[in-house]
Amino acid sequence: MNWTETGKTRIKRRNRRILFLGCVFTILYIIIGVKAFYIQIIQDVNLSKRASSEYKKAVKCKGRRGTIYDVNMKELVISTRVTSIGAHPRRISHPDRIAGELLEHLDISRRTLRHQLARDAAFVWMERDVSPMQAEMLKKLDIQGLAYIPGYCRVYPNQTLAGQVLGFSGVDGNGLEGLEYYYDDYLRGSQKQWTIAKDALGRIFHREAESPFDDEGSNLILTIDSTIQFIAERALEDTVRQYQAKSGMAVAMVPQTGAIRAIAYYPRFDPNSFGDYSKYTWRNRAITDPFEPGSVMKVFTAAAALESGVYSPQSLIDCEDGSYRTGGHVIHDTHPHGLITFKEVVQFSSNIGAAKIAERVGPKRLDHTLREFGFGEKTGIDCPGETAGRLRPFQQWRTIDHANIAFGQGISVSAIQLINAVSAIANQGVMMKPRIVKAITDKNGRIIDTNEPEVRRRAVSTRTVDIMKDIMFSVTSKKGTGSRAVPSGYKVCGKTGTAQKINSRGTYENCEYNAVFVGFSPKESPKLAVIVVIDEPQKAHYGGVVAAPAFRKIVKESFNYLDIPPYQGRRHYNVAIKSRKKGA
Amino acid sequence: MAKAKQAQKTQKMPSFACDYTLLVPVLLLVGIGVAMIYSASCEIALKQFGNEYYFFKKQLIFAGFGIMVMLLIRFFPYRIYRPLTYLFLAAAIILLSAVLVNGVGQTAGGATRWLRLKGVSFQPTEFAKLALIIFMAYSLTKKQDRIEELNIGFLPHVLILSLLSVLIIFQPDFGSIVFMWMLAWFVMFAGRVRILHLAGAFFLVLPVAAYLIANSAYRLKRLLIFLDPWRYPLDEGYQIIHSLMAFGSGGLLGKGFGQGYQKLFYLPAPHTDFIFSVIGEEGGWLWVLIVLILYLIILWRGIGIARSRPDFFGSLLALGITVSIALQAVVNMGVNLSLLPTKGLTLPFLSYGGTSLMINMVLVGILMNIGASRAEK
Repeated sequence: MNWTETGKTRIKRRNRRILFLGCVFTILYIIIGVKAFYIQIIQDVNLSKRASSEYKKAVKCKGRRGTIYDVNMKELVISTRVTSIGAHPRRISHPDRIAGELLEHLDISRRTLRHQLARDAAFVWMERDVSPMQAEMLKKLDIQGLAYIPGYCRVYPNQTLAGQVLGFSGVDGNGLEGLEYYYDDYLRGSQKQWTIAKDALGRIFHREAESPFDDEGSNLILTIDSTIQFIAERALEDTVRQYQAKSGMAVAMVPQTGAIRAIAYYPRFDPNSFGDYSKYTWRNRAITDPFEPGSVMKVFTAAAALESGVYSPQSLIDCEDGSYRTGGHVIHDTHPHGLITFKEVVQFSSNIGAAKIAERVGPKRLDHTLREFGFGEKTGIDCPGETAGRLRPFQQWRTIDHANIAFGQGISVSAIQLINAVSAIANQGVMMKPRIVKAITDKNGRIIDTNEPEVRRRAVSTRTVDIMKDIMFSVTSKKGTGSRAVPSGYKVCGKTGTAQKINSRGTYENCEYNAVFVGFSPKESPKLAVIVVIDEPQKAHYGGVVAAPAFRKIVKESFNYLDIPPYQGRRHYNVAIKSRKKGA
Repeated sequence: MAKAKQAQKTQKMPSFACDYTLLVPVLLLVGIGVAMIYSASCEIALKQFGNEYYFFKKQLIFAGFGIMVMLLIRFFPYRIYRPLTYLFLAAAIILLSAVLVNGVGQTAGGATRWLRLKGVSFQPTEFAKLALIIFMAYSLTKKQDRIEELNIGFLPHVLILSLLSVLIIFQPDFGSIVFMWMLAWFVMFAGRVRILHLAGAFFLVLPVAAYLIANSAYRLKRLLIFLDPWRYPLDEGYQIIHSLMAFGSGGLLGKGFGQGYQKLFYLPAPHTDFIFSVIGEEGGWLWVLIVLILYLIILWRGIGIARSRPDFFGSLLALGITVSIALQAVVNMGVNLSLLPTKGLTLPFLSYGGTSLMINMVLVGILMNIGASRAEK
């Protein structure tokens, strides 16, 4: 009885204590549940942000930049794969030893290496744009904590060829100059950004699905022919050197289509290492820099006169024996002429003659024709930084301005404007829009956009054109100023120009000239229009002496290359072909 | 089966009818555990063993084996453990000593806690827990008449605890020692040991514990980190911070199975000590709650069984088992949630670890048997 009593009490007491323990643990479980609720629901944003900042990173990657081809699909600019070497110093345990290992493979001093590797930073760049081979060698060393970041490097395989046209792009793959800049939107690979998640060891374990769109940039196919470009550049270099000139530029264009085959500037510049060159050599001067054209302008003055019907080629003009007073100024001719024909005014390049013609044509009509030829307005060529030149409205012309403009002073033009205007004459008076990019293709070579020949307008009538061609042909005759421009076997229409340069004070320098020759060939069916401008030639300064031979070289070699038969040699040429056929 | 039949005869009860209140939560927890171990460990397994299923497969085998063992143990009348108490205790002491013998024990992470036998690692401390529970139930039952006397009801148990502690401290496994003392305290409390003795000894032990903590740099650091983990984000606070981040990232519904980030080498032991964090990140508070409810069901079923036993041995054995599971769970989850300083304790049924899972399954098997034999007095 007593025992059971005690036993029951014991069990009762025991069970009370057991129940108490059950409650204690229940409370502990509830505390855990509440704490979890607090962390997960109430503190949630704070903590999860903190967590994702550790493992999530936005990664940007640019697609490969497009290639630039010349008209014959020769590569002018390409992007090649390179690797940049980086390091995660915090994951490198023995900076000294690893510096030693890297020393053989990287072009960095031991001190710099050690310093970089021992820095307290999450990431440092070791060396940028290493060749794939070098990167492979490094990877073989299997050094923990090194990072290999793939990228692209812009390469200009022809080095200086067409450097100013192509321009260059910066380290980050943005076009900075030239076509690289102008067509950057097309060339640039699209920027892709995605989030990667990294585990604690820094390994990527998750990346968002890459967007399906194409990340590679588009390719450009130019109208430039690298051979003609090369010919022009070499001719220019020879001339500039020969005459110890400051610089020179040349443009070659197909008059019927406006396709630019070459734009050359000397001194050269290599976009591969643009930083080593003065900024002044980066610009595509033929497009960006206006200059006073000088006598070349007489072509257009004459065209204006013919258009207005005031003159015929045989009209006689008194050239006053080399000295003519107008508007309170005296105009001189380098070679005095008396009574000469309208044609001869251009042929012999008489300033007085041109001034007199302009006088009769009147400022309004002269201005009209000049503007029809595109002076004072941008040609719209697809290159950056084009200048419109300077042609003031005729209402502001004084008498002397009017006379000066007639022979190319007081007006400034760009080389591209001049060649475009001359091309209009070559193309039956129809002016085309100059263009440098022929087509744009995607990464598979499919054409996505074309730059078709585009007519700007008719500048002058065909009648005027026929007469002008004759007059310009006479310029290159034995008697004309531009006789040295003629390659044997081809008929050249052209005009020389020798313009005194204006200095910064707005006055003319006595011994600083621009020597210009602009023209096209062959006369009947022009294949190329070419302009050569030599800046400050030293030994001689006449356009006919300095620039015309360069023109000849360019035309001759280009025609050779383009297989354009000479008119005189046509017979021989055919015979040659026939005999070859016989032989075969 | 022969033994099972024998058990049936002696206990006069057809115990094939399962104790579903225990079985279902345990099976669910084991299931969740296996799944979460896969999610938590696949990356680590891939890195260490080149096989993402390495831990998953092992745990799956242990789980299957464990369930079989549990269902088998269920048929063993719990009374057979009573005469075997000292055998168990002796085995535990021998195993614990064996770990300390050079070349026998296996070392990992600076602690020697494993025995390796024919490719199977075994953690003697887990077995020692089982032995301790049986010993406490046996001893307290035997001494019920003079339980309130200090040198009979209290000191002998402290002696055995001290003996085990000395063996374990050399591993070292401070967490297990604390766990065992707490477990023993709770069982003694239920076994009617005087509260004065328990509380008094607690306050006596306190300075000893303080001394041990202060004298060990890493224990002190753990405590400091527990007090302010954000001050040591790169050192030891790292794991607790990332555990908290895991919970924080989980939110209410979690990121989804397999979608957690913290297990990816951020959490140092995502499939063992910090499996609860992975559940918190991938399952959100919802699954944290589900796990808690499952543990609560096991707790109260265990408490119910313990209270229903007229005999002290069965009751205290049931309570010891229940408290052992609940205490481990509470400590592990508390560590995961930064409620307690870091301990090397696993989460019962959920954490990866063969010995731990096996011992816990054995415990539940015994508990089921006690629950099923309620008919007898």
